Amino acid sequence: MYFSLIVGAFISVLPVASCVITAFKTDDEYYNTNVMQLPKNWLNFDNFIAVFKNADMLLAFKNSAIILVFVLLGSILFGTMLAYVLNRFKFLGNGLIRNLFLFATLIPGIATQVTVYQIMYSVGLVDKLVGYMILMMGTDIISIYIFLQFFENIPVSIDESAIIDGASYYGVFFKILFPLLKPAIVTCMILKGVGTYNEYYMANLYLQSKDKLVTVATSLYKFTGPVGSQYNLICAGVLITMAPAFLIFIFCQKQIYSGLTNGSVKG
Amino acid sequence: MGENISNTSKSKKPFNLLSWLKSGKGQRATIIILFMAVPLFLLLTFTYVPFAKMVQFSFYKMKYTGPRTFVGLDNYVDVFKRDDCFRALWLSLYYMGGAFLQLALALYFATLLSFKVKGGNFFKGAMFFPYLVCGIAVGFIFKFFYTRGFVLDTVLSWLGFNLENLPYWLKDTKINNFSLAASSIWRYMGQSMVLFIGAIMSVDSELYEASSLDGANKWHQFKFIILPSIKTIVVLNLILSITGALSAFEPPYVITNGTLGTATYFWVMNKVAHTNQKVGLASAMAIVLLAIIFIATMIQKFVMLKVLNDDNDSVSKKTHRKLAKRNGGVA
Amino acid sequence: MKKTTKRFLSLFLVLVFSLSMVSCGEKKTEKEETTDKEGTPSFSELKLGEDYTDLSADIKFLSHRTDLQDTVFQDYIKQFNELYPNIKITYETTTTYSDDMPTRLTTDDWGDICMLPTSVDKNEFPDLFVSFGDKETLDQTYDFLNDKSYQGQVYGIPSVANVQGIVYNKKVFEAAGITEMPKTPDEFLDALQKIKDNTEAIPMYSNFAAAWTMGAWDAYLGGSATGDPDFMNNKLVHSSNPFSKKDDMTGPYAVYYVLYEAVSRGLIEDDPTTTDWEGCKGMINRGEIGTMVLGSWAVVQMQDAGDNADDIGYMPFPISVGGKQYASAAPDYCYAINSKISTDEQIASMLYIKWLTEKSNFAFDQGGVPIVKGSQLPAVLDAFDGVELVVDNPAPEGEESLFNELNRESEVGINTDNTPDCLILENALNGTATLDEVMDEWNQKWSDAQSSLGIEVTEE
Repeated sequence: MYFSLIVGAFISVLPVASCVITAFKTDDEYYNTNVMQLPKNWLNFDNFIAVFKNADMLLAFKNSAIILVFVLLGSILFGTMLAYVLNRFKFLGNGLIRNLFLFATLIPGIATQVTVYQIMYSVGLVDKLVGYMILMMGTDIISIYIFLQFFENIPVSIDESAIIDGASYYGVFFKILFPLLKPAIVTCMILKGVGTYNEYYMANLYLQSKDKLVTVATSLYKFTGPVGSQYNLICAGVLITMAPAFLIFIFCQKQIYSGLTNGSVKG
Repeated sequence: MGENISNTSKSKKPFNLLSWLKSGKGQRATIIILFMAVPLFLLLTFTYVPFAKMVQFSFYKMKYTGPRTFVGLDNYVDVFKRDDCFRALWLSLYYMGGAFLQLALALYFATLLSFKVKGGNFFKGAMFFPYLVCGIAVGFIFKFFYTRGFVLDTVLSWLGFNLENLPYWLKDTKINNFSLAASSIWRYMGQSMVLFIGAIMSVDSELYEASSLDGANKWHQFKFIILPSIKTIVVLNLILSITGALSAFEPPYVITNGTLGTATYFWVMNKVAHTNQKVGLASAMAIVLLAIIFIATMIQKFVMLKVLNDDNDSVSKKTHRKLAKRNGGVA
Repeated sequence: MKKTTKRFLSLFLVLVFSLSMVSCGEKKTEKEETTDKEGTPSFSELKLGEDYTDLSADIKFLSHRTDLQDTVFQDYIKQFNELYPNIKITYETTTTYSDDMPTRLTTDDWGDICMLPTSVDKNEFPDLFVSFGDKETLDQTYDFLNDKSYQGQVYGIPSVANVQGIVYNKKVFEAAGITEMPKTPDEFLDALQKIKDNTEAIPMYSNFAAAWTMGAWDAYLGGSATGDPDFMNNKLVHSSNPFSKKDDMTGPYAVYYVLYEAVSRGLIEDDPTTTDWEGCKGMINRGEIGTMVLGSWAVVQMQDAGDNADDIGYMPFPISVGGKQYASAAPDYCYAINSKISTDEQIASMLYIKWLTEKSNFAFDQGGVPIVKGSQLPAVLDAFDGVELVVDNPAPEGEESLFNELNRESEVGINTDNTPDCLILENALNGTATLDEVMDEWNQKWSDAQSSLGIEVTEE
């Protein structure tokens, strides 16, 4: 068992080796040695400093943090609400709506991006953080299904007894069920959070004034150009951007654990 | 659907909005509408309106700018006539295989890691790590991963392989699609794993205790408790993996530029839309693919539900019942 | 909210501007009248540092040069602002420029200046962009305007022009025993063979993995391969089998012959799928690569990538037409101005473009050919003595967009699509098709598209 875990972990980290090696190379080394040659000085943090300064990393982290907070709040709130309604109430169109969301993931973005752009433009939301956040909030199917899964495993008797005690549906949802979803919410926050944090394509297209609206994912764009990319800087930048995500991930893991040991899953 | 409910209440007594809103049924109706309004609005605006446009585009010969001409079904005929479209779909098999492997691995590791394991956090972190790498670096990472004599070859030579006998991972047309599918497994296995761990969290831990009292081992626990309990997520992931395989795009886009037989359907579609500026044709391609995915999904959903329902539910229900007995029939 | 403040700001600026116009000297009041009457002035009439020095405007400049945004461009803005302190220029650069622009151009407010994307056809120019003036007048001062002109008006001013040739390492050639520069495809292939036999260097580095470097081969089809300025825009469109082999080894076939044969004879790198565009610059500088087929813009980069700048040379493409060598010279991306912005913004944009063209020294710094007539050519072109530079003639009236349409419809994608060029290398590498078969397929696609677009085939 441990053997498979170690192999799995090793394979997961291995491909990044070239990236780590490159991140510590000076320009001169980068151009004149091949990628697998180890850097002369493993303590050469110049690239990291240069990236941090040139790529406006502070601003990028700030913007990404704002985006993350709102997008996560929004998509988790809407996602859980939707899943609650779809799971707990039988009504005409329930199945249809589930299928609409499922079908939506099958529609290729490549073919619809221009129309989406025109819609965003016509309501004046291009080149605005708000617009980008709304786009990213569009609840994704995976979170909805995770929440549905959780609701399935929470017995309806909990709702019923609360209703009998005089609670409204809103009360049931916000006071009783929502806290029970904690592990699901943490899972979605991790997945959606990383997805949003690393989202490049839409950020690049919709947050055009990069001097103000740069995000962590788009901050490295300056180092790739039509005539060449400074991969020693990009790699350093990638490592910088991964660090906080990695730390937060480890932290959230603990949250899941505490959620589990408290036995709060089933209430 | 809201109307439906209000109609029934109307017929019973004279309508009073306020008291109706406070009544159980009224509350039900408002909460359904209220809770679904925003997500549905977003879904319609940013997915279905553009989708309708796309359907419209597929009947035109057009670029994004400049004049358009209506051509009827010509674009659809073209999709079936072109030899690069459907040939590209065969490549999906590589990605499908990859996706199944990815899900199997993810389930395996998720199950292992949802029990108490020494260094569990570290392993989770390490395996989730690839998902954290931002897209801009993935092409770079894999080019040098597969470059002759670099990362992969170095590791293999430690294991005793001779460089002479190793293939060119991206150049060899027999191998390159496996290499690309592997890169996709690498990137997303951790994501599926976290998803499964999350879903497994929803399983009542008392079930494990009950089952181990019954003498079940880990495999039985997995088969009879975990798998049935996270059925929804597993089925969803299988569906998404078929979809993902049919619409594989990123690996050929960032690593090989679709060269040497690695051009997937989506890659061709992207090229047709952007490079060749045939927006109508690309839209038709998208719709044809959608139809294919739709059919595949239906078949798959049908099969999966059949298999999972028939096989496992009875067993898990038995465990549930036992547990219920122990808890005094509350659950 | 930001938009409204921006609007207020611009309204305010316009107010301030018009007030200052009234209060200032007579000369400027006159100027304002003329602009009011005629809208935007002609590019050639603008006098830098004299006209409109009080003009206030906010200009957003969209560009693909992400690498220059913080450095060179900021310098330009500073210098430009010494003459025009109230024109505020903001650059917006993106890595995915050519993919983003078609999307952004579907809206009016995409910015003020852009690098005119190749996806836009000539007949769309008047709708999207401002005319810089009539071509006849501008032709007297500038070269390379053909490419982005339509119905006698110029809609794009080239940022720089390139001459097409081959980058090579002089030391490698010396060590391989190549004494005379190859002038025909077969001579060139022999030279590559010599490099392979006599040195450790890779004879020709394909840069296949980068893909766009393969598309670069298309740039030699016209002038370099035929010596005929009418080939690209006039003859090619109406030719029946333009990609077939010609007895004197000229034309498109000869260009791709070099590529195909070099690959099938094993004269390129071992594994083209993992070539490293960043790394190749240092490699050719150090003499680990013999040749690379790239435009003149690449020379400066190869020189800068190491200590051996003097070893890098540039030679014409090895095709001789009637014993004489030619080289295509063509504009790079062109500057264009949004037609949906205010007159002031248009004038300000024009001033900046004029400044970039005439004062910035951009072209020369980038190792390209400046478009202003009588400019000094970059030193790398010294080796092109006796080689005639060929600038493509424009298509006749009414056929301006034909080449683009045919190019798209056929998906041969000359100068736009890298995939067909990549396929040549793939076929040569795996022996899956001969060059003649590949070229026949191109011919077929070309004539299919000609008939579906109703294009008359007049050339053989």
